[in-house]
Amino acid sequence: MKKYFALALAALLGLAGCSNGTSEVSDSATTTTSETTAQTSSIEQQASEPLTVYLNDFDAIIPDLFKEKTGYDVEVVVGNGAETMSRISAEASNPQWDVVWLDSMYDIQNLNSEGMIMTDVEVDNAANLTDEFASLVPSDKSFYPTGAHAAGVIVYRNDVWSEEDAPKSYDDLTDPKYADAIGMADPGVAAPAYPLAAYFFDEKGMDGGMDYFTTLFENGLKVYPKNPQVVEAMASGEISIAMLQESNAYSMLAEGEPITIIWPEGGAAASTRVAAICSQTDQPDVAKAFVNFLLDPEVQQALINTGDEGFFTPSVDGVTTKEQRDASAPLAIADVVFGAENEADIKAWFADYSAQ
Amino acid sequence: MRNRDNRISTIVFAILVLLVLLPLLAVLFQIVCPGLDLAKFDLSNLSILGDVFARPLWRKAFLNSLALAAGTTAVALLVAGAMAWIRTQYRFPGAKLLDLTAWVLMIIPSFILAQGWVYFSAGNGIAKAWFGLSWMSDYVFSFPGLVTVMTLCKWPMAYITIKTALEWEPIRLMHAAHMNGASAWRVWKDIQLPLMLPALCSAAMLIFMDTVGDYGLSSTITAVYSFPTLPYTIYSAICNSPARFDMAGVLSLCLMVLIVLAMFIQYKAMGSKRYDFLDNGTRKSEPRELTKGKTVVITLIAGGFCIIALGVPIGSSLIMSFSSAISIEGFSFTLENYQSVFASDSTLLTGIAHSLGLAVIAAGIGLIIAFCCAYVLTYSKSPLKKAIDMTTLIAMAVPGVVLGVGYIFVWNQKWLVPLGLHLYGTPAILVLAVVAAAIPLINRVLVAGMAKIPESLMTAAEMQGAGFITKIRTVMLPLLHNSAVSAVLSAFGGSIFNLAITTILYPPNWETLPVWISDSYNDLKFGQAAAATIISGICIITIMFLLERLLNMGSRKKGNAYGNNS
Repeated sequence: MKKYFALALAALLGLAGCSNGTSEVSDSATTTTSETTAQTSSIEQQASEPLTVYLNDFDAIIPDLFKEKTGYDVEVVVGNGAETMSRISAEASNPQWDVVWLDSMYDIQNLNSEGMIMTDVEVDNAANLTDEFASLVPSDKSFYPTGAHAAGVIVYRNDVWSEEDAPKSYDDLTDPKYADAIGMADPGVAAPAYPLAAYFFDEKGMDGGMDYFTTLFENGLKVYPKNPQVVEAMASGEISIAMLQESNAYSMLAEGEPITIIWPEGGAAASTRVAAICSQTDQPDVAKAFVNFLLDPEVQQALINTGDEGFFTPSVDGVTTKEQRDASAPLAIADVVFGAENEADIKAWFADYSAQ
Repeated sequence: MRNRDNRISTIVFAILVLLVLLPLLAVLFQIVCPGLDLAKFDLSNLSILGDVFARPLWRKAFLNSLALAAGTTAVALLVAGAMAWIRTQYRFPGAKLLDLTAWVLMIIPSFILAQGWVYFSAGNGIAKAWFGLSWMSDYVFSFPGLVTVMTLCKWPMAYITIKTALEWEPIRLMHAAHMNGASAWRVWKDIQLPLMLPALCSAAMLIFMDTVGDYGLSSTITAVYSFPTLPYTIYSAICNSPARFDMAGVLSLCLMVLIVLAMFIQYKAMGSKRYDFLDNGTRKSEPRELTKGKTVVITLIAGGFCIIALGVPIGSSLIMSFSSAISIEGFSFTLENYQSVFASDSTLLTGIAHSLGLAVIAAGIGLIIAFCCAYVLTYSKSPLKKAIDMTTLIAMAVPGVVLGVGYIFVWNQKWLVPLGLHLYGTPAILVLAVVAAAIPLINRVLVAGMAKIPESLMTAAEMQGAGFITKIRTVMLPLLHNSAVSAVLSAFGGSIFNLAITTILYPPNWETLPVWISDSYNDLKFGQAAAATIISGICIITIMFLLERLLNMGSRKKGNAYGNNS
């Protein structure tokens, strides 16, 4: 009976094509079609339509840069990390994207688990990857890292805290003397804030992670939706210490705000930007060309030189980072499988605890 | 007559199902069928409905939204009623400033007003840095402060609705009461106030629904002061990874329950009485002259109110647009923000053009559909009347972000491709969604206007041989002129800045104004966001002012044709 009800409602919604069975058939058919397309159509034929890339940064320079490098057109759809992942989920039955390029490695890993991204992607420029980043490429070669940035450097107002009194490590933040002074972005909303939270849960275990944040919450930790709001709170003096995405921290410095940036001992929790190809794309070769393009040292240098989010550690050799950035800039990246598998639980715990 | 009404009702309802109910159903269906995957269909998933009061975040969001909407409704109704009263009853310098302020506030989206209030009230804001008002931050970022800011943003809808109702006086009844010795207070209390009940209820519903479903203001203020609301939590559920469409469905259901409760209270308050007092015993109200002292007091009250409601947020944005720093304490004058907005690689002007186009289409199509809706709701005996009423109200309360995601589910079907109806990824889907969002507001304002036109006037026209179209053209439209202009202009203004829907549905490389401003704000380019707000605001207000003059030209030429005891 309930099946009939479901079918009737689905028919009303026009969603019968989304049923699981159909979806499987559709997926395999599409995969077959993609393979056939790849075999029978040249890259030029595939490139007759622009490649659609979902991304959250560098939208201003990528189209021209890709056209200049490869001659192919690309259409970018920009949104923050969460909005983009939401769009991908909503489009699951009929994806409109060819490549996704976000600083949300754990989300992309989850897309991989759901069979939504292409595996065994081989690109020539993968050889340029540094050892650190090559180790992040999954064995099924479903995505490639294009860089990583600190999701949470420690930033403090130097007109409030002296160098001696200021925190030097993440553990220092639990000191009661910093009560009501600390803020961070919401891991459930801001793309870089989840890798930051995941780092603690990975490093200290689930219980240890909860204990760490419980201590911070009891000490008056303030959670803001996104990093720009953390910046506002720092600038207004509402908080005087923050775990802040590095690009925002360096922007504050450039704005002349009275802050000091600390790269925590043991490395700053990092967010890794990765690129993956949709398993249902009908432009697999152009999509691979795009991923290959992102792993080109010249391209990564251009991103660092001209992009809004140019503060990051490049994933390939032969690229110079921004001068203002700490020369060593140690990064600590939470395990990809751990981060992906526990994402929903960590975010739910965090959201509920911060609401109390 | 009955058949024609039924036909209109059926068409209207079918359009509303397509534009509103289907996308909404697609989201709600997620509760029992996550991912719209029939293999996962399970009615036991309904148990997550109970989580609304179990999970701390959801419980807090529900209670916060209820308290904020109820508080704002009560305060804004009082404020708007008082302002509408002094505007229609008394003559004082700058009376039109109230109208202008109301119009401008209705055009400006809540997220921009909220940005202005944040620039003003934040710890490093204008209030503290320039005026030494260090208490402002603590006050604005508290529950009473949020109610105050919400009231200052939402009062115009109630003001326009109440003012429209106050434009006509049941003069014959008032004379009769005066002749029987009733005081001016008694006449107001026993005659004018009860006859205003539909307008007051309508105004209260508008404020309640607009507040309870407001995403822009609550999310912007929430960024500074932790105050989770239902729309913000719905946004968080949808724009999250993994996306929780089932949670969004549950929370949307909560929003609808709140609205149904509000509707129930409205129906109970109005009962089955008649309020169609507009006949030959009514006249257009004329503002009265006051003594010089009283005129000064009223002018100061109205002027001061306008300065706080509009001057503070817009003035703060104006100041920020000339600031070289995100913190007002580090302010130094610069024109760089304006230069960057007009730079050759800036896409702002394209965004403005796209948003204007969208708004014109939405207001035009929305007016036609909403007029039919209002006609059915006011005069028809169709069995679909209640369903249509409910659907338009639901459409008003459903947050744009939910409607947007629902549109993806409905219009991104593979089988629609050969039919040429695969609208996702094209501007057409934005048009549909923005029309859906515009209909309820136009409809509410028109319903309030139509409630004053007795059916006997329509019947009289029919008996004189007037057909349906003639009846509408010669009787209804002239009497509804003010309401229609109000409705269209407010829908036009609201559509230009529809942030939630355009964020979710905008096609690749199709810039829109609200997304441009919001992105700049989120990228910490406060000065640029503020400069874009000022430039686009001036463009849009100028266009709307000209439009208002144009649309009211006919009615001005007719002078007091309807005002002379018609």
